[in-house]
Order: sequence, then C-alpha cells, then structure tokens
Amino acid sequence: MTTALILLPAGGALLVWLLPWTRFWAGSFALLVSLAEVGLWIETLIRFDFSRPGLQLGAHAGWFGDLGISYHVGLFGFSLWLVGMTVVVMAAAVAYAFWTGRERARAYFGLQLFLTGAIVGVFAAQDLLLFYAFFEAMLIPLYVLVGVWGGPGRLGATLKFVIYTMAGSLLMLAAVIVLGIQQGSFDLVSTGTSGNTWIFLGFVAAFAVKAPLFPFHGWLPDAYREAPPEVSAVLSGVVSKAAVYGLLRIAIAKFPGPTHDVRVPILVFAAIGLVYGSLVAFRAPDVRGVIAYSSLAQMGLIVLGLFAANDLGFDGAILQSVNHGLLSATLFLLAGGIERRTATGELSRLGGMARGRPALATMLMTTGIIALAVPGSSAFAGEFLILAGVFRQGWIWAVIGAGAIVLAAMYMLRLISAVLHREVGPAVPDAALDLRPAELGFLVPLVACLLGLSAWPAAVSHRAFAGTRAKQAVATELASSRTPVSAAAAAYQRCLAALEDAEIVITTATDPAASARAEKKLERGCRTPSGAIDVTISVSQAGSP
Amino acid sequence: MIVAAWICLSSPLAAALAIALAGSRISRRGAGYLATASVFASFVAACVAFFALWGDAPHDRSHYSTVWTWLELGSFSAGLRILVDPLSTMMMLIVSGVGALIVGYSVGYMDGDDEERRYFAYMAIFVFSMLLLVQSGNLLLLLAGWGLVGLSSYLLIGFWQERPSAIAAAKKAFVMNAFGDATFALALFLLIQHTRSLDFDTVFARAPGLSSNHWLVNLVALGLLGGAVAKSAQLPLQTWLPDAMEGPTPVSALIHAATMVTAGVYLIVRTHPLFELAPKVEDLAAGLGAATLLLAGLIALVQTDIKRVIAYSTMSQIGYMFLGAGLGAYANGMFHLMTHAFFKALLFMAAGLVIHALAGEQDIRKMGGLRGLLPRTYWAFLVGALALVGLPPFAGFFSKDSILAAAMHDGWYGYLLWVGGLAGTFLTGLYTFRMLFVVFGGEPSPFVREHLIRPRRRGEAHHGEGPFSMTSTVAILAVLSLIGGWIQFAPLWIPVTHWLDVVAPTLPHAEATSWQEGISSALAVGLGLAGLVAAWLVYSRRRVAVPRLPFAQRALEHKFYFDEAYDLVFYRPGVATARLFGRIVEGLVVGGSIVGLGRGVGDAARGVARAQTGLLRTYALAIAGSLAVLVVVFISVR
Amino acid sequence: MTLGILGPEVSWYLAVAAFLFATGALGVLLRRSPLIVLLSLEIMLNGANLALIAFARHNGSGAGQIFALAVMAVAASEVVVGLGLIVAISRRHLDLDVDKLRTLRG
Repeated sequence: MTTALILLPAGGALLVWLLPWTRFWAGSFALLVSLAEVGLWIETLIRFDFSRPGLQLGAHAGWFGDLGISYHVGLFGFSLWLVGMTVVVMAAAVAYAFWTGRERARAYFGLQLFLTGAIVGVFAAQDLLLFYAFFEAMLIPLYVLVGVWGGPGRLGATLKFVIYTMAGSLLMLAAVIVLGIQQGSFDLVSTGTSGNTWIFLGFVAAFAVKAPLFPFHGWLPDAYREAPPEVSAVLSGVVSKAAVYGLLRIAIAKFPGPTHDVRVPILVFAAIGLVYGSLVAFRAPDVRGVIAYSSLAQMGLIVLGLFAANDLGFDGAILQSVNHGLLSATLFLLAGGIERRTATGELSRLGGMARGRPALATMLMTTGIIALAVPGSSAFAGEFLILAGVFRQGWIWAVIGAGAIVLAAMYMLRLISAVLHREVGPAVPDAALDLRPAELGFLVPLVACLLGLSAWPAAVSHRAFAGTRAKQAVATELASSRTPVSAAAAAYQRCLAALEDAEIVITTATDPAASARAEKKLERGCRTPSGAIDVTISVSQAGSP
Repeated sequence: MIVAAWICLSSPLAAALAIALAGSRISRRGAGYLATASVFASFVAACVAFFALWGDAPHDRSHYSTVWTWLELGSFSAGLRILVDPLSTMMMLIVSGVGALIVGYSVGYMDGDDEERRYFAYMAIFVFSMLLLVQSGNLLLLLAGWGLVGLSSYLLIGFWQERPSAIAAAKKAFVMNAFGDATFALALFLLIQHTRSLDFDTVFARAPGLSSNHWLVNLVALGLLGGAVAKSAQLPLQTWLPDAMEGPTPVSALIHAATMVTAGVYLIVRTHPLFELAPKVEDLAAGLGAATLLLAGLIALVQTDIKRVIAYSTMSQIGYMFLGAGLGAYANGMFHLMTHAFFKALLFMAAGLVIHALAGEQDIRKMGGLRGLLPRTYWAFLVGALALVGLPPFAGFFSKDSILAAAMHDGWYGYLLWVGGLAGTFLTGLYTFRMLFVVFGGEPSPFVREHLIRPRRRGEAHHGEGPFSMTSTVAILAVLSLIGGWIQFAPLWIPVTHWLDVVAPTLPHAEATSWQEGISSALAVGLGLAGLVAAWLVYSRRRVAVPRLPFAQRALEHKFYFDEAYDLVFYRPGVATARLFGRIVEGLVVGGSIVGLGRGVGDAARGVARAQTGLLRTYALAIAGSLAVLVVVFISVR
Repeated sequence: MTLGILGPEVSWYLAVAAFLFATGALGVLLRRSPLIVLLSLEIMLNGANLALIAFARHNGSGAGQIFALAVMAVAASEVVVGLGLIVAISRRHLDLDVDKLRTLRG
C-alpha cells in the first residue's frame, strides 16, 4: 500500500517523460495520476487502524544486507496525515500548472509527479539511508522547477536554494552515516536511541535549513518569490513539512537525551523566528513576501510545538503542519491568480479587488482568516495545542506565541485589505476577471479541507499518535514501594521511541500519600537517568470515578 | 430542549451558508428575508428552550449536550458541547430576539445597497457566533465563539470596503480584540495545566482546589478579564469601539450595543467561580467599569457624530455592568445587560432612522428641529433616552439603580464606586439630552431644510421616517424599553435574580437592603434629572453660557489621548522594528551572508583554477610527483 | 619453484622494466609532440607489463600475465582514442604541440 503510494506518481513521471505526449495530454495525464494518488490515499486512510500503535502498512525488503540498509517503508498515524496533505496539495499544484499551461509540459509534469513520489517516500521511509535518498530525490526536481520555470530572478534564487540545502544535506548525510555505523543498522524502527549531541545537531541543522528556521532562511524570500506560484505552494506547504517529519521521526525520537539538553536554544530560535517572521511579514511589500515570511513564522511555531516534547505539542505540531500546508498552498495559488490578473504582486499597486469579484474575495478572505488563526478555525486549534504544550515548558514561550497571534492578525489583515479593499489599485484592470471555474476547481477543495478541519480538528490531532490508548498499557501500580521506578522509565522510553503517547497514569490505592510518593519517584526516574523529556503525570485513584 | 437549543444555534449558520452558496440566484431582498427568518427561528427555538427549562426543578436546570469531540488530547478534551442553563437561555433570548428585530430592520435600512447579500450573510454569521459564545459548554468553544464574533464584527465594520476609514477601523477592532483573545487563551493554558479540563462543570468543581495558589488564580482571572475588557471596550482597550461606528447603523445596534460588546459581562458572570477566587481582580473589574463609565460619559459630552455619542454611552453603560459583575451582583449586571440591549438598540435604530432620512449625514451640528419633521422617530428616541438616563418607569431605572445599590456595601472602595456610578448618571442625563435637544429641538437647520423640507414641498418621493420594516421594529423596541424593566423591581419582586440564582448567585456582600436601594434610586433619579435639566439649560432654548476650559475640551475631543498614546507606544515602535528587521537584518545579515558566501566560493574557485595550467606536462609532472610521494610514504610508513 | 630458475634473477627483469618505465616517463614529460608523448606512454605501459610478467613468473601464478593482457587491451584502445584525437587536431590545422594545446587552462 505504502509502496504503491510512492510508485504510482513515480511511474506516472516515467510515462510522462518517455511517451510523446502533447502539452494538453501530458497535463491531463499528470492530473489524472495525482487524482488517482489522492484516491489511493483515501483507500489507505480507510485501511489504516488508528487504534493500533506503531508502524502500519509497511513493506520491508533487503537492499545492502551487509551494511544494514534496507528498503523499509510504512506509515504512522501522523505520517499518514502528512502524506494526505501532500497528495492534496500536489494535485492542486498540478491542476494549477495544467490550467496556466507551463512551457515544456512533459518535463514539467514529469518533475511534479516525481516530486510527489519523493515526498511521499520521505514521509514513509523507515530506513535512514532510504530517507536520505528520498530527501535528495525531493530536492533535485525542486532545483529544476525553480531554476527553469521561475521568474526573472530565478537563477539567483536557485543558487541560494541549492547552496543552503546542499550544505544541510551534507551535514545530514554525515549524521546518517555516523549514526548508522554506530547502531550497526540504518533501520529506524529496530534501532534504539542515541545520546550523541553532535549527530543530533547534524540532523537538526539539515532540517532547520529545509524548514526553514531562523536564521537559516536566507534562501526563503527569493525562492518563494521567484518560483512559479504552484512550486512556491509546494515548497512552503509540503516540502517544509519534510523537515517537521524529520525533526519528529529522527531528531526527537532517536535522540531523547540531546533533545532534552539542546531544547532551550532550539525553542529560543523558534520563538525568534516566530516573532521575526511575523514582523517582517507585516512590512513585506508584496503578496508573496507576506506569505513567505508568514511561513517562516509558522514553521517557528510548529518547531515550538515539536520541542515542547509533550503530547499537546506533538499533536498540535502535526495538526498545524497539515493546516499550514493547505493554507500556504491556497494562499500561493491565490497569489498566482492575482499576479496573472494584475501582472504584479506589489501591495501598493493592488486594491479594491473585492468589488465585482465575489469568488476571489470569498476565497482570499476565508483562507486569510483561517491563516490568522481566528478562534474556532483549524489553525487556531493547532496553535492552541502547540501553545498549551509549550506552556508546560515555560510560560514565556506561550506568551510569545500568543503575542504572535496578534501579529498574525496584523499582517494577514494588511494583506487582505491591501488586495481586496480600499480604492481600486493602479495595477488592477477593470477587465480583471473573477476566479474562473477551473481555478475554483482546485481552490475550493483546498478551502473545503480547511473548513472541514475547522469543524473537526480532532480528526487529525487525535489520530496522529496512537497515544491515549497506549497509556493504559503503561499504567502500573507504582504505589507499591517495590516496583522499580526504572521499569516505568523504560516503558516511557519505549513509548517515546515508538512515538506513542508520553503520558503515564499511575493507578494507586486509595492512599493519597502513596500516590504522591509514587509521583515523586516516577518524576525522578523519568528525568534523571535517561535525561529524557519530562513526563506528564496524573494520578488517578483506583476506585474513585 | 436540547434539540431546540441546537436548532437555535444552527439556523443562522444554515442561512449564512445558503446565502453564500446561492450567490446571485437569490434576490437581495430574499437574502434579507431569509436571514431575518432564520434569526427569528432561533428566537422561537430559544423560547422553547426557555419554557422547557422553566418546567425543570430549579436545581436541575443545567443540561449539557455534545455532538462530537472538537479537540482531544490525553487527559484533556473539549467537545462541541453546548450548555443550556438559565444564564445561557437568557442570553439566547436576548441575542436572538434583539437580533431578529435588528436584522429585520436592516432589510429596510440596507435596501438598495448593491452588496446586500454579503451583508445578510455576515449578519447571520454574527448571530451564529454570538449564540455559539453564549451556548458553549466549555471555555474553548466559548473562545471560539469569542473569536468568531470578533471576526464578524471585523467583517461588518469594514462592510463598506472602499472606505479606507472603515477598513482601518475594522482592522483596529480586530487587532485589539486579538489582544484580548491572546490573554484569554493564556488563561486557558493555565487552566489546562492545573485542572486538565476546560469544561465549565469540571473547571468550576476543581477551581477551589487551586485557591491556595494566589498567583495562579489571579493570573487566570486577569487573563479572562483581559479578554472581557477588550471585547467590551472597557479601559484600557476601549479605543476601537467609537471607530467601529464606521459600519452600517444596524451593525452598531446589534454588535456594538446590544450583544457582542456585552459578552465581557457574560464572561465574568459565567466564570464567576474563577473570579471569586481572585477578589483583587474582581475589584479591578469593578474599578475599570467605574472608570470607563466616567471617562466615556465625559467624552460623550463633546462628540459631534450622533453614532459616536451613542457608542460612548454604550461604553459607559457596559461600565455599569462591569461594576455590577465585579462586585458580585451578577443578576443585576445581567438584568442591566438585557434592558440595555433593548434601549440601546432602540437608540441606535432611531438614530439610523435619522441618518436614513438625512441621506447618511451623522454630524449632529448639521441637524436640528427634527422633532416636527420626524415625530415618531422623536418619540422613539425620547423613550430610549429616558430609559438610558434611568427615569421611572423606563427600563434603565430598574436595572441601573440596583447595581449602584449593590456597591454601597463594599467598604470605602464600594462607596467610591458608588459615588462614581452616581456621577455617571448625571453625565448620562447631560450627554443624552444634549444629543436629543441638538438633534430634535429648535428650528430646522439649513442642512435639514435642504434634505427634508424642500423635497417634501416639491412633492418628491421621499422615504420619510422609513419603511415598515424599520419603523415597526423600532416600535417594538420602544415598547420593550418602556416595559422591559418591570419584570424585576429590586425591593419587591426579583424573578431575574431567582432565575439566575442556580448559575450565578449574587454574593452576600452585594445584596442590597431596601434602604440602600431607596437611597441609590432617589439619588440616581435626581442626578439623572439634574443632568437633563442642565442639558435643557445649555442646549435647548436658553443657551446658558458655559465657562470654556480649552484644555479640558481639547483633552475630551482627543478622547484623553489614548489613541495617540497607543500609536506612540505600540504601533510606531512595532513598525520601526519591523522595518529594521526587514531592511537591516533581512537585507544585510541574512541576505548579505549568502552573497558573501557566494563571493567566497567564487574567490576560492579562482584560486584553485590557477593550478589548472592547461599544460599537459604540468599534469604529468603532478601525477609523477604524487606517485613518488606516495611511494616514499608507503615505504617509510611500512 | 623450478620455473623460477630457468633464466636470470627477477631483479634483472625489474631493472629492465624500470629502465623502460623511466624512459617513457621522461618522454611524456619532455617531448612536445603528442605523437611522441603517446609513444612514450606505450613504453611506460610496456615497462609495467614486463614487471607484471616477471613477478608472475617469479611467484608461479598466472594472475600477473592476465593483468598484462588486460593492460595491452587498454593500451590498444587508448592508442585508438589518442591517435584519433591527434588526427582530429591536425585536420583542424592546429600545431601538434602539447604546450600550445592548453584550452583547458582554468
């Protein structure tokens, strides 16, 4: 199943490249393949059993047996959601490209399909070297897509993008090799955790460049501005989530000790990125600039959630990743639509586009409002979980995050009113049309996904980690003074390594003093010997409702 | 009852969706009727829920209903959960009842605007959000409704989106409310951490266990108060409300007078178990209310825009409600919220009739002598004004005075608040009747002649006092403003207090005795009358000269310089920092670093390139030389 | 074992091989005509071949001889490419002088 998800678009790409399609047929075939991929994902979703912890729908085959490298793919709950977001956004991007009619259609659509397969591979890979291979396979089509089909400044943008990501990739390769050789196997599921801070930092640096996190975002403004709109949508919406996945699946899950030690500096950088991105977005002169820097801010927020390193933060980070993927893709596609109509993205030359264009106004307004996390929206649910999670690490992070919500309102409202409201801008011709049915065809599903998530965010957040049920498995009678605390700590470690819930419920006898003792013991046991993430402990007394 | 509550909540949402999806397939007027009908259906459903609840035993009047889990994590979960209890049904009745009247009024008011459909869709969304706010069964959903009413307020203030001032006002309202949302959310984080729940029943049950942690309970209450203050336009987050008058007048009536701005009071009453743990914060809320009511009353004295005068009076009246809720007289605060919804909606809608008749003019200096020209409007406005000042037997008399009486207990602080509230009644009389006399009294001004008398003489078709949809709703509200207060007369019969007792019992120290009620009422009525007489002396025929205080006048006209101060303290530094980041950090450091990196790589490449001479023999020599070195190394190392 | 003594000591062969290799190397380094450079390269290869065969005989295993055969095959193909290049250069009326063919300079 997972393999089919990877191979379907890759095979489609080969067909597009090899057969002599005309531009129209190449586009429609690519669109068909990406829609089939969405269908395949829905099938996967139906087959997926959310109540079961651990890897599902996996496939395992030897590759280089003597090096411990294998083809091992499979999905966790959260990777399933990231894959879903990917296939939906990629289908919309392909539809947009098909609608605008890109030059050299066969090469273009082949690359888009190949990119889809590679990203799905990144989210499914359970072998370090396989992960690295997919990660690189994801970057190469992007270099070409930005460099060939981009705007006038595409060469500089591509160069920066290549230099930054190559540097990150090399660090990651080194980290992958050292970790694999230390562990004796590159398999992510069967190997244990590591305590080496340097390897951890290698991974974090690679993902920080890819996300991007402040201050590694030098490539971001140019790449997001110069790439074709649908490629920007993929870059900011989907590709950045590969970094989120990597941080979660490798950096945090495999390095609990270093995560605990280096957490505060990472949180500091994430918080700086959040505020900094919001502020720069507030002054950005063009539509794509606002979206690009808001992406920087959002990635900062997601990383805050990840390094909150508790259930609320993880769930929130995954929910917010899905949200932000859909949101920034929609916004970039809308920006592309606006640029096609006005030939500019400068906010000072836009304005008044709402009058007579109700569909455009509704789409931009709805997306913008969800993006600024108005309470009740899915983005709000994600931010709320992240901030509630990071609040446990210290109130200051949540205060910064809450302040960033205000800033988000400021830059998003500025974008909305600069495009839609006020008097009609000089670059807006009267003949500029409302959104065409074809454009609505790929925008409405994206917005519908967002509205659906707003009505039921728990669909994603509650099904990302098979956590809450696992806690019963860990529940132990620690009240009896003989139960070794280290056993509970080990159980907790196992849970963490399998990315399950990090919560332990202690069921005690009715004696409150005993449960308080147990709580103390467990806290000591989980904090000091493993150096791990602190555990959330709730004490429920047996017999009480 | 539960079904009725869900119908009440979902019917406006369904109407909004239907209008949005139908697009131009539905006529403009049809959209208006659809929205009105849906809100009226909500009102009917709210009535059903109310009477069903009435039939229950008093202690069994809380009913929760969850459809699905909105957000769930480990030990904490928040469902899409509504609560039907006396407090929420009371709010449901006010919101849907007044809402139905005002949406119906808009059918006439907005007639001819070419984006009527959008207007009615927004109005329906607003009513849905407000109902979500008051019906929610947990704090997270309450925050969701809280944010959604802010959103619909933003959409409706900026409804005329070509006006830069309207868009700026809308953004200002949203951003200041976002600030309140942020403090609200922070309070919720604290609650999640310490009570592991956001459901009202669980939180309130576990809250007393937190009372030993003074910091915690104070912070939670402060965070909630921050949200309440921002939403209800109290000090120090009050500056958005006057600007919000850029929206259409029915919007001001519904959102910025009758319902949304009073949500802060509802929040305090709803979460009173949390506030009661932090008496200091309760005192602060009461103090802020008193300060706001005085400040707003003073500013209202010099305003020249008819809607802004009413907006300041709204701020001032909400100040009274905060005063009551902060003191623990929850039922009195809620009762005043209800009567205020009646008479303030009436005032706004009567003002809307005036504005409508004068082709959109809002400056009271250009008005005058309208009494003879718009007699029915005049009477409606007069009823609203008398209710606002609180003269018997109008609604405000019954609700406002018992708030003042409740203040008389609380030591010197209570008496200070009491004096402030009494001073406020004098100001209320003064600014209300200043407006009334300037607009309706005297001879018709040249502007009025131009717009009302001349067209009539020429026999041109003029809408006069407005179509039936507008005048009928105003009439209903006028009747409500007259009799709406009679349901509770503090010393004699108190059904509202009894009704709310199971949810928010009045604190013992806020229960007023009969003599306190008597003294407060007498003084308040007397001072209100004094204000009326002063206004009559100054602004009616007599025109008594008032000593001019240029400094004071300037301070009032600048609304005590709050806007200027916020601009200087927050907005400008923010913009400057953003610009600094954008230019210097982004341009030079981040952008510059990559340029430098590229240049460095280029230089290095040039250096290495020099070794590539292109001479074959150099290469051969290099190979031979390296080989020789390797041989030596191998031999010597072995 | 017995094969090793049917002739001079292995060091003699190595001396000749070294001499051939040095001659070739000098030719590659000093001569300017590409033709002669190619020729000198062949001489170097043959020196190496001689060493391989001598060791093979000395050690009594056939592997060295196989290697020598492979080297000869490579040398032949190399000559094909090299001579082709030289013909191409002279066809374009360029000087047959390795010091002047330096378009690959960085």
